[in-house]
Amino acid sequence: MDLAFTADELQFRDEVRTWVRDHLPQPIAEKVHQGLRLSREDMQAWAKILGSRGWLGHAWPQEFGGPGWNAVQRHLFEEECALAGAPRVVPFGPVMVAPVIMAFGSPEQQRRFLPGIASGEVWWSQGYSEPGSGSDLASLKTRAERRGDRFIVNGQKTWTTLGQYGDWIFCLVRTSLEGKPQTGISFLLIDMKSPGVSVRPIRLLDGECEVNEVWFDQVEVPAENLVGEENKGWTYAKYLLGHERTNIADVNRAKRELERLKRIARAEGVWDDWRFRDQIALLEVDVVALEMLVLRVLSAERAGKQSLDIAGLLKIRGSEIQQRYTELMMLAAGPSALPLIHEAMEAGWQGDQAGPLPAFPGGALHCAPLAPNYFNMRKTTIYGGSNEVQRNIVAQALLG
Amino acid sequence: MDFDFSDDQIQLREAVARWVDKAYSFDRRRQIAQAGGFSRQAYLEMAELGLTGLSVPAEHGGMGLGPVEAMVVMEELGRGLVLEPLAQALIAGLLLSTRAPKAIQEQWLPGVASGQTLMALAWQERSARHRPDVCQTQASTRDGAYRLQGSKHVVPAGDQAEGLIVSARLDGQIALFAVQAGASGLGRHGYNTQDGGRAADLHFEDTPAELITPEGLAALRHAVDLGAACVCAEAVAVMERSLDITCDYMKQRQQFGVPIASFQALRHRVADMKMQVELGRSMSYYAWLKLDAPEAERQQAIARAKVQLGQSMRFVGQQSVQLHGGIGVTDEYIISHCFKKLTQLELSFGDTLHHLGQVASAMEETAGVFN
Repeated sequence: MDLAFTADELQFRDEVRTWVRDHLPQPIAEKVHQGLRLSREDMQAWAKILGSRGWLGHAWPQEFGGPGWNAVQRHLFEEECALAGAPRVVPFGPVMVAPVIMAFGSPEQQRRFLPGIASGEVWWSQGYSEPGSGSDLASLKTRAERRGDRFIVNGQKTWTTLGQYGDWIFCLVRTSLEGKPQTGISFLLIDMKSPGVSVRPIRLLDGECEVNEVWFDQVEVPAENLVGEENKGWTYAKYLLGHERTNIADVNRAKRELERLKRIARAEGVWDDWRFRDQIALLEVDVVALEMLVLRVLSAERAGKQSLDIAGLLKIRGSEIQQRYTELMMLAAGPSALPLIHEAMEAGWQGDQAGPLPAFPGGALHCAPLAPNYFNMRKTTIYGGSNEVQRNIVAQALLG
Repeated sequence: MDFDFSDDQIQLREAVARWVDKAYSFDRRRQIAQAGGFSRQAYLEMAELGLTGLSVPAEHGGMGLGPVEAMVVMEELGRGLVLEPLAQALIAGLLLSTRAPKAIQEQWLPGVASGQTLMALAWQERSARHRPDVCQTQASTRDGAYRLQGSKHVVPAGDQAEGLIVSARLDGQIALFAVQAGASGLGRHGYNTQDGGRAADLHFEDTPAELITPEGLAALRHAVDLGAACVCAEAVAVMERSLDITCDYMKQRQQFGVPIASFQALRHRVADMKMQVELGRSMSYYAWLKLDAPEAERQQAIARAKVQLGQSMRFVGQQSVQLHGGIGVTDEYIISHCFKKLTQLELSFGDTLHHLGQVASAMEETAGVFN
């Protein structure tokens, strides 16, 4: 038992740290540190920078061009990115669909799709949820009918994160009505420029359009875009869910945001209010405990052991902590969190001064994103398998 | 960074677990509790396994083992709800071997290691609550000898101990002293504690004492941190056992014609308990692995750990009782004893709010496992 990283691991961390600090564009890092709006260009710029170094698919096996890092190295890399203020990598391409294509796709699919994912050129979206299929995902109805060498797809997906930017979308579609719902699902890759695909952004409670509805109306998809076997899509989707479970806790981002919370608490004068300080202290303990939990899982994974039974806890705890720090930042701002000026979510916004009064009420421009950030984070306990579903899974292991 | 135990540590764990399973049954425990809460016989059995000498250097007859071994042992004793306070022997071993002059080491440590001498740390005072830096007991010198004046509160097995390590103010500074159980002017009032164990209040009236160290506050903080780490390890095992017992019960208890383990409201509670057990275990590891770190880092880690464990054990303890229903609040069934043990552990070596105050005061810009 030992808490310290090895000398090799520390050297790896220093190398990664230097590279990230040298290559992450500062205007993007500033937006991340302040919780401001990120554009498609911001997100893709960072993806391409990582791609140019071969680190966008940093968890990929070496045979597919990954750097061959172990679980601890991946964690250290993610930590350095998060602490430096890098945007979160949009996971749908490199983290989600790529491992499925590697594991179940044809060599032709691998040659065709993986390079664009690795470089960050091609933006992927995820087509899972439907209006009638949330937690009960296997009930999905989007239909794909085989006609010769193509599928005809009809139906609707929803909550498609950043789908308005998507070039391609990987979808779970119904290819059979026989047997159990799970056994009639296939995993299909669809070009979003295909005729019959339409995307409508959904405005969310924070005023931003982070998710979309995606409709498929008689969309023709070449049969060669089917991953693996027909009606085996549920198996592939479960494989995908089992992938990369430690990062879902997002503990590195939590450490960065804890620092931000402390800065805000100082700026807003509640750092010396012990009722408030205790709340930060409780969060600090939560973050350290989550990090220890993550390190335990990493240590088991690095040793090649089957992930501990605690991996399922990471999503629950990580998402609760994400909500908690945004909540405390908003509470620190107090009434200054209330003015709603959408433009103030843009970096560099100055607005017009209204006579003697500053453009942002109270001159508290750094408070502008706090309530929207708080509202936005309500998603974390809902997506990726709601925390209630996660609790079902944890309980299943204990109670059968 | 790894969280695997060595073969030796696994063997140590198994040896303690065997003793607990064989020799420390629920019935024996109940008899010990009814007979006052401390069994010298059981304590000597632990000594035969070498446990009382765990942190005592080999030159004084101990095993000279490190924090991870101590954690392993405390977990197994926690699992058995063992009443005899081995943590006191670990504390005495640490304090005397690192802070005491050679003569005092030679006088006390062999007995601590062999189990013939139980030494208890007498640091809490009624008005101090959990703070080691609040101390009204006074030390003075007369004819070249030290004398103590004052009272100590809730000293584990304090009326059973052969020796006491006492904090007292010497020229305004907190110092630590060793006191013989038979010393003149020592009054001891023993009683059962809520978990079935034993403690005593002590009164010193011009009681002769030997100086362990004049830099007593730093030493005391170290000792209390070790005590808190012991609490963390015990709590992890008690929580884990409580969760196991509760899950087993839920699978066999039938209501409305089905096992109550089928009800989602209860299943989610169990998931939340599992969360608290694992967060607690993670932070117990953290506490023990930071025990040899520089003082400020060690104190911060212990405070964080005790805040987590305090919250975890209160939740797991309360919910274990709740999920059992009526049988959970009876004395005859084990789960109420687990709950009371967890309750007592939360209030030992600084409670949750005390440690939260420590975390809040020491917070810096950045925070994480490594800072």
